[in-house]
Amino acid sequence: MSVVLSIDNLSKSYGPVKALRGVSFDVPQGSVFGILGPNGSGKTTLLGIVMDVLRANNGQFLWFGQPGTSPQLRKKIGSLLETPNFYSYLSGISNLKITQSISGRGNKKDIEDVLKKVKLFDRRFSSFKTFSLGMKQRLAIASALLGNPKVLVLDEPTNGLDPVGIAEIRELIIELKEKGHTVIMASHLLDEVEKVCTHAAILKTGELIATGPVDEILMDEDIVELNAANKQQLAALLTRLSSNIQIDEKAGTVQIVFPKGTANLENINRFCFENGITLSQLILKKKRLEARFFELTNN
Amino acid sequence: MTNLIRTEWLKMKGYPAFWWILGITALAYPAINYGFFKAFEDLSNNPTEAAQMAKMLIGNPFSFPEAWHTVAFASSLFTFIPAVVVIMFISNEYTYRTHRQNIIDGWSRSQFVTSKLIDVLIISLIITALYFSIALVTGINNQERLIKNTWGQSYYIGLFALQTFAQLSIAFLYGFLIRKAFLALGIFLFQYMILENILVAYLNVKSHDEGRFLPIEMSDRLIPRPAFMARLNPERYKTLIDAIPQHVVMTVIFTGVIWAFCYWMNKRRDLK
Repeated sequence: MSVVLSIDNLSKSYGPVKALRGVSFDVPQGSVFGILGPNGSGKTTLLGIVMDVLRANNGQFLWFGQPGTSPQLRKKIGSLLETPNFYSYLSGISNLKITQSISGRGNKKDIEDVLKKVKLFDRRFSSFKTFSLGMKQRLAIASALLGNPKVLVLDEPTNGLDPVGIAEIRELIIELKEKGHTVIMASHLLDEVEKVCTHAAILKTGELIATGPVDEILMDEDIVELNAANKQQLAALLTRLSSNIQIDEKAGTVQIVFPKGTANLENINRFCFENGITLSQLILKKKRLEARFFELTNN
Repeated sequence: MTNLIRTEWLKMKGYPAFWWILGITALAYPAINYGFFKAFEDLSNNPTEAAQMAKMLIGNPFSFPEAWHTVAFASSLFTFIPAVVVIMFISNEYTYRTHRQNIIDGWSRSQFVTSKLIDVLIISLIITALYFSIALVTGINNQERLIKNTWGQSYYIGLFALQTFAQLSIAFLYGFLIRKAFLALGIFLFQYMILENILVAYLNVKSHDEGRFLPIEMSDRLIPRPAFMARLNPERYKTLIDAIPQHVVMTVIFTGVIWAFCYWMNKRRDLK
């Protein structure tokens, strides 16, 4: 899988505050890449640097193997960075005409199409200042989608949206992924990220603490969940395989923890059966991103 | 370049303040010139001996070729009106954070400054066209005999354009650095109307006229007071006229430095 964006040792300071400390990771083509972190972790700073509105103090980044971002390259990237930035005295459609004029992405029909996609077509002639927060965010998403760019950079794309709007954006991102687009998305809505992202990077106070496919980040250890008619007997038997065994009374299951990548479900099943226990449940369980995020960020 | 002009036009044409200020300018420039003309006409129609003597002395400053100079001087007193719109254009970009968005969407940082340079050039050209129309109409209406030497002092068209562009560039610089429209405008007006006038007068008396090197005064002296206003001190008038080429060079260099600084600064700084 080729790399769309490669970030190498990026650092950025605002006076004494270190916003980024030597961050490095790669964004594979066709991925939905989530950049996660608590407030002030450096997500927006990172995206600001790769979109050329902020200057890094150290390090470099490569878009499609080319250092930095040339204007020609940025024109091919649909972006929503931090807040929707539009001319408040102009209408929605006039603002998108400016985006089109600068980026060269799309045409008159495409502008109408993206306005329909984000459900702003009926309000296209209303000035931006009359829009609600959610409508402003929708216009920013329309602007990013204009001309169907192959790469999108979305910073908190669901900000200000109602639950229906959030679900629509989630579906949109999944649709973009299915069509082969690469989406780089900063968010603190972990549930959303877990639902749509294939890869992620987790930042904490400017430092990268984990990166890779979401499944790998979530599975720092193998947790196997089992059930049988006699849980106590099952738990006693499993102590011969691992010392890390818990009975989850609430879920009514036994959990056995192995080092990452070492759990073999087939062997466990055979071991239990040969020792007289028939399993009614046997699954390799993933942690929730939220739990993993809290673990990694020590919150 | 066409793309930059097209984009700036999209921003301009939907901006009500631009059209309002353009309308005010279109009224103010003829009005001030009419005021000057009316004062002259009242003097011409005054039958007293002193008034007739004065009339003989000053001639008709509203006929060609002197009209180019007279109208340029009167119009140049109102450069602060288009300066408002120049400051608004740049401060709007900071208020709406579109100075970032334009870059994100695909302009280079230099292209952003060039787009603003285009704004200032367009406004300067509009103002110069307005001055040109007023001077032409004024000159034609006041032609007492067969028109000859109509274009004799038409170099004031170029001087007026340069002065307007130079002073609007200073206004732009304040908007670019200060980012807040009212503050930038306040500082510009203070300098334009009060500070430099005081400093020029002070330096004229106390020193060797070093006030001519002040940013606005430097380009102000591209269009000295018209001959009829200066006839009481012809020596001073001659000195000012002779210094115009020197002020052209200084103004071009200073304005070039302003824009070079803006390009450099915008390339270097974080766009927050």
